[in-house]
Amino acid sequence: MRTSRVAAAAILVAATGLAGCGLSGEADQGSIVHKRSLVIGVKEDQPSLGLKRSDGTYEGFDVDVAKYVAGKLGVPPSRITFRTTPSSAREAALATGAVDMIFATYSITAQRKTKVTFGGPYYVPHQDTLVRADDSSIKNVRDLKGKRLCEVLGSNSWKRVTEERKITATTVKARNYGECLTKLLAGQLDAISTDDLILAGFAVGRPLKIINSPFTDEKYGIGLKKGDLAACEAVNRAVIQMYQEGKAKEFLDKWFSKSGLRITTSVPQFEGCT
Amino acid sequence: MTTKPESQTRPDAATAPATPPTSPTGRQAARGRDREIAGEPPDLRRPMGIAARVETFLRAQWLGTIPGRIRAYAAVALVGVAALLAVLSVAIGNARDGVQTIGHDAGPRVVATGSLYFALSDMDAQVANVLLIGRQHDLGIGHDEALRRYEVRRVEAGQAAVQAAQLAGDNVNMQRTVREVLDGLGRYERLVGEAMLLDRQANHAAGQLPQQVIDTYRRATDLMKMELLPKAYNLTLDSGATVRQSYESKRTAIESGRTWVVVTGALLLAALLVLQVYVAGRFRRLVNPALALATVVAFVLVAASTGLLSAQAGHLRKAKEDGFDSILALSRARAISHSAFADESRYLLDPGRADTYEQTYLDKSLAVLFVDPQGKPVNLETYYARLPEVLRGFDPARDRGAFLGFFGDEANRARPGLETSALNDTLRAYQKVIENDQTMRRLATGDDRNAAITLRMGRDSGAIKDFDDYDRALVRLSAAHRDAFDQAIKDGDGGLGGWNLIPVGAAVVIAGLILVGVRPRLAEFR
Repeated sequence: MRTSRVAAAAILVAATGLAGCGLSGEADQGSIVHKRSLVIGVKEDQPSLGLKRSDGTYEGFDVDVAKYVAGKLGVPPSRITFRTTPSSAREAALATGAVDMIFATYSITAQRKTKVTFGGPYYVPHQDTLVRADDSSIKNVRDLKGKRLCEVLGSNSWKRVTEERKITATTVKARNYGECLTKLLAGQLDAISTDDLILAGFAVGRPLKIINSPFTDEKYGIGLKKGDLAACEAVNRAVIQMYQEGKAKEFLDKWFSKSGLRITTSVPQFEGCT
Repeated sequence: MTTKPESQTRPDAATAPATPPTSPTGRQAARGRDREIAGEPPDLRRPMGIAARVETFLRAQWLGTIPGRIRAYAAVALVGVAALLAVLSVAIGNARDGVQTIGHDAGPRVVATGSLYFALSDMDAQVANVLLIGRQHDLGIGHDEALRRYEVRRVEAGQAAVQAAQLAGDNVNMQRTVREVLDGLGRYERLVGEAMLLDRQANHAAGQLPQQVIDTYRRATDLMKMELLPKAYNLTLDSGATVRQSYESKRTAIESGRTWVVVTGALLLAALLVLQVYVAGRFRRLVNPALALATVVAFVLVAASTGLLSAQAGHLRKAKEDGFDSILALSRARAISHSAFADESRYLLDPGRADTYEQTYLDKSLAVLFVDPQGKPVNLETYYARLPEVLRGFDPARDRGAFLGFFGDEANRARPGLETSALNDTLRAYQKVIENDQTMRRLATGDDRNAAITLRMGRDSGAIKDFDDYDRALVRLSAAHRDAFDQAIKDGDGGLGGWNLIPVGAAVVIAGLILVGVRPRLAEFR
């Protein structure tokens, strides 16, 4: 009698349980937050940000942040594959799923937001100016008037000085920042102007200085596949924790403290997940 | 046959279906009790233990007799009723939770935390106003009014912080952010107090701030911009994320609940039809009226509840997408606009940082309404030129994607009628604000700083009046979405009215009708 009553009760519970299961609903399917391993796009040629070592591994601030954020999503470094993602291929790489996330000095812009969902920014660098350490004539961007400024092929940074601010500097063409650097050291030009984190990477160990007179706010975002809001919210929470735990300061100090750059160690204002 | 026995039958009949005939435990127990009850006629009117009745039922079924069959079919139908009731309760519970969360709990609270950013940002704007006008107390909204607003915003910021703390619940990271904002606010107020004191002592003319005041204010406004505002902004985003997640999970739950209702409802209807066919066939009747009625009631219940769940999913979607999302986005747009407007004061009061404040004004304007520079340099000059081009004859229905940013999203979302006309008003007013900015900067760079200050701070004319018009238009636009939100939530609440009882009542009626339909037939075998 007792046994059968218990059995009846058990079956009733099981039947109700069965009906209940599946009713809770599984939202956010297809988000990368459920993935066991991640492919992360980074740069391979930005010292201190994303640089490929000779053994094929990557190093830099972006790489450290990527590892931290992936860790908060439950993916340890051993299950991360880093992949070089050049600037021109970033949107396509996310759309096709070739990479799951991008940490590659990827500035958030209104136009890019129509194709990419951005987590973060995880850091807000500013455009600043790099000059020779013994040059005291340039204290802010206005002082570039009449000076020789590096014009890097395909970059917009110099335009922000000469076109957006209409400061009449003479531009000196260079194929890349490496060439700018050589020319600056050789006295063939007077200043390089671009994101301060990039400048900081160049300044380390060279007789150069950053003038610490920022004039723009860039926003380095975490590129995600358009519409993956669950991942966007998750990486934003990870970035908050990165700052709260002091990890952001640790990474920034590790890569940029020697450059003399003034860094920000408070969490940036997020863009919002759209 | 009287009706009395039926009422006796109901309780045990309701438990019987819980034990399907295939259950090994049940069968074993039934076999074990065979000896005791062998030969006894099954008499449901006799008071009997539930287990014994289950066994009687099972034995009859096991033997494959006609009453056994009828009982089995009836039992399956009753299991179906119970299952439908369970599925319905869960699905309706989800719908109720969804409306509760979005409409009454987290939703409105998230909107309330949005005012934290606004209040903090406006505090700093008022400080900039006070410092800029110096001893000319009647400029702008006036020295005393600016101070009064500062106090009001401080109180609002405190209240919004309390809301944020409540929303944080046991999320330690969020709690910590709220604490950091409050700590930072304390430091900010100290710096502001210092700057105000120095400012009073300097007793300067409008726009002629001593460097000492500028330096102290820089520390305050940097603290605000670098630490307080980002954290306040992120708090609202983060709590908004919680609402989005719970909305997504509730909406999918309601939709899958609807599928379950259809499936269990179909099974119940099938069981009722099989029972109907069997009973009618065995007793050479065309139709069993009670069972037929049970089938109709079941059909109506399934149809009505499916419709209800679809409607609830719709109300929830409306509340979230037409209401909540827009309200939140517009409150951010409003806060950023106010902060940009304050950047004009800062531009005038701190010439050393004029370039920086001009850049932040541009960045904020682009966040609010982004126009494609079309290859021209991304600066205010291009913005002044491109904005009227883009807005001239703008029609949200036709010119999708003409511009981006908060207003671009809003243009895609706004529905014809009230929302579209409020949006058009807002855009017109916005254009006026940008025109004023152009004039103000032209005056300031043309060495007529006083004219610039008069334009920016003039009381009943000029920039402040136009900005207030813009602000009112923006608030009206937001109110249109607020109405959509309130309506959807009201519909959601109203739609659920009575659905506590309807499924239970209908289930009792269906079960009762099944028994009424089956019992007289069973009695013929006694």
